[in-house]
Amino acid sequence: MKKYSLISGMLVLTTVLAACGGSDEENAEAQTNGNGAEGNNNAAEGNDVGEEDVTSLGSDEAEVELSFWLFGATGYPELAEEYIEENPEVSISFQEIDMEDHHNNLFTALSAGSGAPDMAAIEVSEIDSYKQAEDRFVNMYDLGAEEIEGDYLDWVWQIGQNVEGDFQFGIPTDIGPTVMYYRTDVFEEAGLDSDPEAVEDMIQTWEDYEEVAATILEETGKPMADNPETVFNAKRDQADQAYFNEENELILDSTPYVKEAYDDTAEMIQNDYVANLGMWTPEWGGAMAEGDYATLLAPAWMQGVIKGNAPDATEWRVASMPEGGGNWGGSWITIPEQSEHAEEAYEFLTWLLAPEQQLKAFENMGLFPSTPEVYDMPEFADATDEYFGGQNTAEIFAESALQVEHVHKGPQYGDVNAEILTGLENVYDGIDPEEEWEDILNRVEQRISR
Amino acid sequence: MSSPKGAVSENGPLEQKKQGVKERKISQRIRNMVSGYLFISPFYLLFAVFGIFPILFSFYLAFFRWDGLTEMEFVGLNNFNIIFNDPLFWKSLYNTIVIGLMGTAPQLIAALILAFALNSVLVKYKGLFRLAVFLPYVTSIVAVAIVFSVIFSNQESGLVNSFLGLFGIDPITWTRSEWGAKFAISAMIFWRWLGYNTIIYLAGMQSIPNDLYEAAKIDGASLRQQLWYVTIPMLKPFIIFTVFTGTIGALQVFAEPHIFQGRAGREEGITVVLYLYRDAFVSNFFGTASATAIVLFFIIIIFSVINMYFANRIGQSKKVGTGK
Repeated sequence: MKKYSLISGMLVLTTVLAACGGSDEENAEAQTNGNGAEGNNNAAEGNDVGEEDVTSLGSDEAEVELSFWLFGATGYPELAEEYIEENPEVSISFQEIDMEDHHNNLFTALSAGSGAPDMAAIEVSEIDSYKQAEDRFVNMYDLGAEEIEGDYLDWVWQIGQNVEGDFQFGIPTDIGPTVMYYRTDVFEEAGLDSDPEAVEDMIQTWEDYEEVAATILEETGKPMADNPETVFNAKRDQADQAYFNEENELILDSTPYVKEAYDDTAEMIQNDYVANLGMWTPEWGGAMAEGDYATLLAPAWMQGVIKGNAPDATEWRVASMPEGGGNWGGSWITIPEQSEHAEEAYEFLTWLLAPEQQLKAFENMGLFPSTPEVYDMPEFADATDEYFGGQNTAEIFAESALQVEHVHKGPQYGDVNAEILTGLENVYDGIDPEEEWEDILNRVEQRISR
Repeated sequence: MSSPKGAVSENGPLEQKKQGVKERKISQRIRNMVSGYLFISPFYLLFAVFGIFPILFSFYLAFFRWDGLTEMEFVGLNNFNIIFNDPLFWKSLYNTIVIGLMGTAPQLIAALILAFALNSVLVKYKGLFRLAVFLPYVTSIVAVAIVFSVIFSNQESGLVNSFLGLFGIDPITWTRSEWGAKFAISAMIFWRWLGYNTIIYLAGMQSIPNDLYEAAKIDGASLRQQLWYVTIPMLKPFIIFTVFTGTIGALQVFAEPHIFQGRAGREEGITVVLYLYRDAFVSNFFGTASATAIVLFFIIIIFSVINMYFANRIGQSKKVGTGK
């Protein structure tokens, strides 16, 4: 009897202790993890946001009360003041929180079937995992979205819809066209011309890139790139297929593109052209300020990160990506099916994300517009950036944005990507790339077939 | 039994009165009961919503395939089949046990020695030392993990690596090497929990009556013998408690490797909880994650039973009771 009560007592205790096990630690790690999936950062990462920020606009007597969940610093609440003035019957409350918490909250609210807002942002790395749940969202086409479709870049619009193209989940906000940031001092030290135009002429293809890498390594001992992740991302995004086909079958082994990107990156790692400064680590930021590597293959929003990490540096410049840009980042605003004011929300969104407002969001917060019309507006086209030596950076980003093609990703895209990046790290540590590739295929298979 | 009618009518009012009192008594008892339950209900309601329900639901979920948004699909025992055939699951279990042993076992021994030192009459400024030893426990795990990530940096210029460099040892890639990662994670656990266990042991030691030590001294026991034959046997309940919580804590290690190796985790440091977290909240496979949680639940029970068995034997020296 005594034994019995002991064991049952332990069972209860185990249950209680197990249930009380920490979950409070999970929140704060987002900022520090270096291994995050693709596009972990939004356009406005450089601007810090408080823990939680709720802004309410409009009068309490407004007939329609809209709620809007956002992450990062978008400046949308300030922008929306103008809309509220013109539409006094509407009031909007904005909730702006950390990106990971935002997506967790949204996922839970959608899964539970209650508690979701009238409008919610979803980031590019997350959106594909929501696409199997069409019944949880309002189809923007039912609200007349084909009228505004033409305002947006095709590939951006397509990321926000299902494979068949008849269900539009969200309206695009900003994007992250990729470019090549580089350090003039490293180029000069290697005896190369560091003028943006000259650099662009010098590095047209990946072969050129490797040649320059060899010269820089020989002359200065510095690597060409910061880590395998940025190099691999840049190469992968130039292919027209990624990890899955449109039926969400894994095509890692049956199409050549990813393997090529992997092989080329592995080769550059083995040639010591690539350092391994994990993204978002202190070393990575420090190297950005010191100029410990020559180029950073990164999206438009990275300029905020560079300016934040290296506020006094004057050596950073921007050139276009060899062989064409890709996209890294951006969000879509969706209307959950739970919303009782879908039409009013849609009205507001078409205003907020229209070209005129996207220009303002760009001017205020550096959100790069997804509406090509803005690229020709004089306020945008003539803007220069003193930090980058007075370069007209926006034009280079815009050029990159116009080159991007739509690539289907699929819900497990982030898992596959994480395994490949792990593999590239292992290559950096000395594992044979071919063996590692087999390992990657095995790991991916284990991870996604469940 | 038939009784005369008169008697009944005679007893009637009294009986009724008695019954009335009894009724009131019962209702009073029920009322007391109700108010008692009401007083304790906040805990049970919260526990039902945030404790029991999720536990039961995850048992249920373990037999389904669910991505959190679309329909659940019954798959029987397939989720268990999947995780038992996943080498990474076994690797995570192995890591959990190794990290648990490396982080917990030396820690409990060190805590015991520290507590003994703090309890001895020789140490001055006891309050200060007690505070200093306990302080790490107060820091948030996330902060600990971030600081340790900097200390155990892969770069040659990292604190530990540059220290090792003084002895001509090559820099170690802490986050990505088999034993480097385990060592760094164990070090975090060791550092953070040492003070907690020390304080518990210290409290235990202070409850040991001085007479026992005096008697031991009179019998000529050395310091080591005092520790071994007086302190440790008397501390048994405290040791059982710390071993018990330490084991459960070790089997649930999550935040340290999660931050040290990044959101996606790596096989060198992935623990069972990290494995199931990744399955559920990175990949949206809630079924296999729940199955893992249940397996972990039973593993914890098994470990606790084993623990209990060994912890019970602590201090049961053969010499006890022989009346030597």
